[in-house]
Amino acid sequence: MFKSGLADEVRALPGGENLEMCYSCGTCTSKCMIQQKLEPEYNPRRLLRMVMMEMREESFSNPTTWLCSSCDLCYPACPQQIHISGVITAVKKIAVQNGQKTPLHTAVVDQQTCVACGLCAEVCPYEAITIETRKLPYRGSIPVAVVDPGLCMACGMCGAACRSNSISIPADYSDENVVESIWKWLNPEGAL
Amino acid sequence: MVDAARQPLIEVKAYTEVEKVEGFVGNFKVTLREKAKYVRADRCNGCGACAKVCPIEVPNYFEMNLAPRKAAYIPMSQSVPLIYNIDMDACIHCYKCVEACGPLEAIDFSMQDKIVEEEIGAIVVATGFSHFDPTPMEEYGYNRYPNVITAMEMERLNNSAGPTAGSLIRPSDGKKPQKLAFINCVGSRDKRFVESCSNFCCMYSIKNAVLVKQMYPNIDVTIYYMDIRTPSKGYEEFYNRARAMGIHFIQGRPAMITEDSETHNLFIHTEDIALGKVVEHEYDMVMLNQAAVPQPDQNHMSSVLNVAQSPGGWFMEYHPKLRPMDSPTDGIFFAGACQGPKDIPASVAQGSAAAARASRVLHSKTWQIEPTIANVWPDRCVSAQGRACGICERSCPYGAIDYTQGKAAEVITAKCHGCGACVAECPHDAITQLHYTDAQILSQIRTLLADKPEKKILALRCHWCSYGGADLAGTSHFEYTSNERGIKVMCSARMDADFIYEAYRLGAGAVLYSGCHQQDCHYITGQVIGAKRAKRLETIFERMNMTPGRFRVEWISAAEGDKYARVLNEMQATLDAMPEADLLAEIERLRPEMAKRLSRLPNIPGVQRALDHTQVVVNTILSREGAQ
Repeated sequence: MFKSGLADEVRALPGGENLEMCYSCGTCTSKCMIQQKLEPEYNPRRLLRMVMMEMREESFSNPTTWLCSSCDLCYPACPQQIHISGVITAVKKIAVQNGQKTPLHTAVVDQQTCVACGLCAEVCPYEAITIETRKLPYRGSIPVAVVDPGLCMACGMCGAACRSNSISIPADYSDENVVESIWKWLNPEGAL
Repeated sequence: MVDAARQPLIEVKAYTEVEKVEGFVGNFKVTLREKAKYVRADRCNGCGACAKVCPIEVPNYFEMNLAPRKAAYIPMSQSVPLIYNIDMDACIHCYKCVEACGPLEAIDFSMQDKIVEEEIGAIVVATGFSHFDPTPMEEYGYNRYPNVITAMEMERLNNSAGPTAGSLIRPSDGKKPQKLAFINCVGSRDKRFVESCSNFCCMYSIKNAVLVKQMYPNIDVTIYYMDIRTPSKGYEEFYNRARAMGIHFIQGRPAMITEDSETHNLFIHTEDIALGKVVEHEYDMVMLNQAAVPQPDQNHMSSVLNVAQSPGGWFMEYHPKLRPMDSPTDGIFFAGACQGPKDIPASVAQGSAAAARASRVLHSKTWQIEPTIANVWPDRCVSAQGRACGICERSCPYGAIDYTQGKAAEVITAKCHGCGACVAECPHDAITQLHYTDAQILSQIRTLLADKPEKKILALRCHWCSYGGADLAGTSHFEYTSNERGIKVMCSARMDADFIYEAYRLGAGAVLYSGCHQQDCHYITGQVIGAKRAKRLETIFERMNMTPGRFRVEWISAAEGDKYARVLNEMQATLDAMPEADLLAEIERLRPEMAKRLSRLPNIPGVQRALDHTQVVVNTILSREGAQ
């Protein structure tokens, strides 16, 4: 009947089912902590509208798609009971499948040292980590942790849980940088 | 109200509850409980001396508990009849009122509830609606922040006869507010509470805002809304007037109200949709326009009156468009919001319509009913032979069947609406439905399936929905298989299992069992009975190893022509996908199974004769060119 577009793709994924029920009341946006504390342009209502209007590129590059932490403050307040973070996760997934690079510094696994204990997969609140068998240089076919960049929110729980220092968030929040900043905080004058 | 009370032909029974309603249109027998007022109606002159001396004060429900009332009270100042009442739950029996009443001797503590039985011709139900309590919506802080009030409380604060004599004050400090906000859709259009739109709140909040603005032009008034709905005559003009007066309208549903704990000022957090920005504004006072909900005892009234309820809990009308003031039970009519939220003009219109409908009953010597009523053959009813049965009584959505063991069941003709549930449910074929007799329907089935039955799809449709759906499919020119052969009955409840067995015995390719969606059923619970039977048949055919898809159950409304066409095309595809030899073999395999279940058919009065006549038609069809 209709050409299958972004809205249909989102509806087909778990969490995206009630997308079209949104009547743009704005409760989600005014509930949102990220909107209030972090990014004034952050607007889940507008993202839902963009998805409904098939604005593919705009919704993929929108900060709302990438900053949602799935805290679900908006979900219990939504009068239409739309699982908004579910919709956003679905958009994120489709964006990554379509080659969109996530602006977040998602977790990186050192496959040479990973022992596939599964601790990271267990603690990940976004179910972004799975244990999969990979063929690796020097190690052969062996199970290791694999991060789905479409789901990872770069919270760093995995890095904190890992016993073999094999998974971490790169750039500003790598283990080294965090240790460095703690050290600086403890010794502001560099006395020690 | 005063006019009504003065009219000699109208008797007002205040403080009276309906306990039981029996009988049928024109002949209701209603049991009433006249509650004891402890004040004699024939002596009280409404002077109010008793209330003046009464030492007890309790919250006044009419004033939304914003003001007290005495234990000797009238519900409101315009009460009709103007007779005082003593609240026995609060009274401490000091008898000061008796003293104050003096020589009138109107107060009588020995009064007791009186049960009265009345003969009634027609009943108009006008029990109104109640308000959603916003306390469970924690984000708005009702009952937690003193300056968050409901629209009804606002109504009393703004009323010159109200607890503040019409001056608008803040509950926290009694000061006049400078910035006011109204929030629309509190609880309504919200799947967590009340899913539907409450119909009149947009106009209602605009009215309150305009009243405030007229009285105090310097007050800053803002209305928060999701959509403004002003569809009736003159409403949009009123909305424009409000905008011209300088009332602010912000589109956006407030997510949260917070309070300054010292000043008790309130902050509304919302996204201003027009700006696309989250805004926070400070107000002195916030009014919540709460959803309209059914009365708390609506369920009880529904069972007393034997009228069904719509999904929202409101009373269900006979037909949403054509007979909105009639209940499914003849002689009972609805006026106003008890049937669904509506504003004053709509309530007045419905009230007048209901009164006219009721007077039609009162002025008729006879009453016209549907011609498709059910009839019992007393000699076939097993109850007459002393056996326990009563299946017909249990299946009747209208309570129109009088069943006592040892006596043949009897249909109360005036109550019967002709759904045919009892006819199809009776395991002894002792009931028939006029114009939809077994003989007639079986003859239709035989004729329709006379030639090449394995290629045909027999569609059983209910009169109100799926027949309308089929009609719409035709008038909309939706293409669907030409192998469909339709039979109309009044309700899916009438679709006797025998009809379906007979169709398969004759070798039908497929059978569609269709009717209304449950909430659309025109016979209260007829569809439920039909759906239960359909489910049973599905299990039976599954056990017989019938190819799935040859028996299909679908609920199709009169607006779903596309669905009707789609379902039939899918059924045709199922038949097309089956090799013809397999289909014929399956029909042959199941034929004796079906015949076994139909052995009683020839004994039903009229059936054998009708089928003999039908055979002539069938022979004519078969003698045509190209027939088998």
